[in-house]
Amino acid sequence: MLTRKDRQRFEKLTLPHLGAAYNLALWLVRDASEAEDIVQTAYLRAFEAFGNFTGTNSGAWIMTIVRNTAFNLLNKQKRNSNLVSFDEVSHINDQKYKNTYDLTPEEMINLASSNIQVAELIDRLPIDYREAVFLREIEGYSYKEISEITQVPKGTVMSRLSRARGQLQKLVLEQQKKEQARGL
Amino acid sequence: MDCEQIQTKIESYLDGELTLSDRRDFECHVSVCTGCSHKLESMRTIQKMIRNTGYSNTPSALKRNIQNQLRDYTGEEAKNSGWLRWVGFGGGAMAAGSLATWVMMTFLFITPLQTKITDEIISSHVRSLMVDHVTDVKSSDQHTVKPWFNGRLDYSPPVKNIDKAGFELLGGRLDYLQGKVTAALVNKRRAHIINTFISKNNHSEINTEPKLIQRQGYNLLFWKKNGLDYWVISDLNQKELTEFTFLISKP
Repeated sequence: MLTRKDRQRFEKLTLPHLGAAYNLALWLVRDASEAEDIVQTAYLRAFEAFGNFTGTNSGAWIMTIVRNTAFNLLNKQKRNSNLVSFDEVSHINDQKYKNTYDLTPEEMINLASSNIQVAELIDRLPIDYREAVFLREIEGYSYKEISEITQVPKGTVMSRLSRARGQLQKLVLEQQKKEQARGL
Repeated sequence: MDCEQIQTKIESYLDGELTLSDRRDFECHVSVCTGCSHKLESMRTIQKMIRNTGYSNTPSALKRNIQNQLRDYTGEEAKNSGWLRWVGFGGGAMAAGSLATWVMMTFLFITPLQTKITDEIISSHVRSLMVDHVTDVKSSDQHTVKPWFNGRLDYSPPVKNIDKAGFELLGGRLDYLQGKVTAALVNKRRAHIINTFISKNNHSEINTEPKLIQRQGYNLLFWKKNGLDYWVISDLNQKELTEFTFLISKP
């Protein structure tokens, strides 16, 4: 049975991560209202399991529960509709953007001078990639921590990050070309 | 390390994941190799772009909702919420200041999805008035209206009698929102019809405080409670509609 003291300790450990939790959910589901629901559910689940929490990294712990809650919800929604599975999406994109580093010198210059906002482009990445990118670039977690949070091997984390960045480079360059063509 | 090896380590380098000696070798190499140094810069650029996207603000109601939910779990009393502050326990006067803050706050929360739902709610409300199809079951008795939904829905919408507070129950009907059959309850305040839409959601643990939305001259309030989504809509003024919401949402 959890008491008032447990609740206070729980809040002290986890509420500082509320912003990160909400943003992770938002990156995953891309809808503010869904993200709120996910975080609220995740915090309640975390509290229910608080008795078993012995670790020290409360941030990574709450992130794990948030992402699991988000994926459970997405899987439920997927079962109820005919969406293409996320794995398929990743696969298609992997084929298309295999060579992360094969930018031409001109492309490199274009990239360096680009002022494209990438937020919308990030939305076009597969969900697993968005998750890895968020945890690494926005939250600053290490490969090992990301591997624990997302429950995949470290090598998978590295390849997701690498592919995500490679795809983003390409997407930025494509976007830039489009805008130049429109004379923006 | 040759160029090929260096290039496989660019991201590990930027992510701070190289050992000290690898790091030294890496830096040594890129300081003299233009090709690798350009590739490093390209990757650094994309990294910066991602980091610049930054954080979205966390809705202020989220923290309060979580805290209340946790208190609920431990059996403590809910934190005195903004909601109770505006309405007062008897549904009495609201401080103009806090109402203004509240309205502003909720305006920021409207997501594209909510806008879509809001539009649907407004159309349903208007349609129910236009075709004179406000109720399927006409009754001012909640013990008639509530059972009427049995078998018509796979959940049981709570129906309260708040006639005494000046919100006469007219009855209920089935409506269609978000591709789902939805319960609609109808109350009346003077000449104003209030529709309350109640539908099932996927988050049975989630309870939120009502949010006020104003659109096309209508006031709407939205909240979640015990696995149900509630939408209240009317052309009734904000203050009285908030009172109504308080009365039907309080335990």
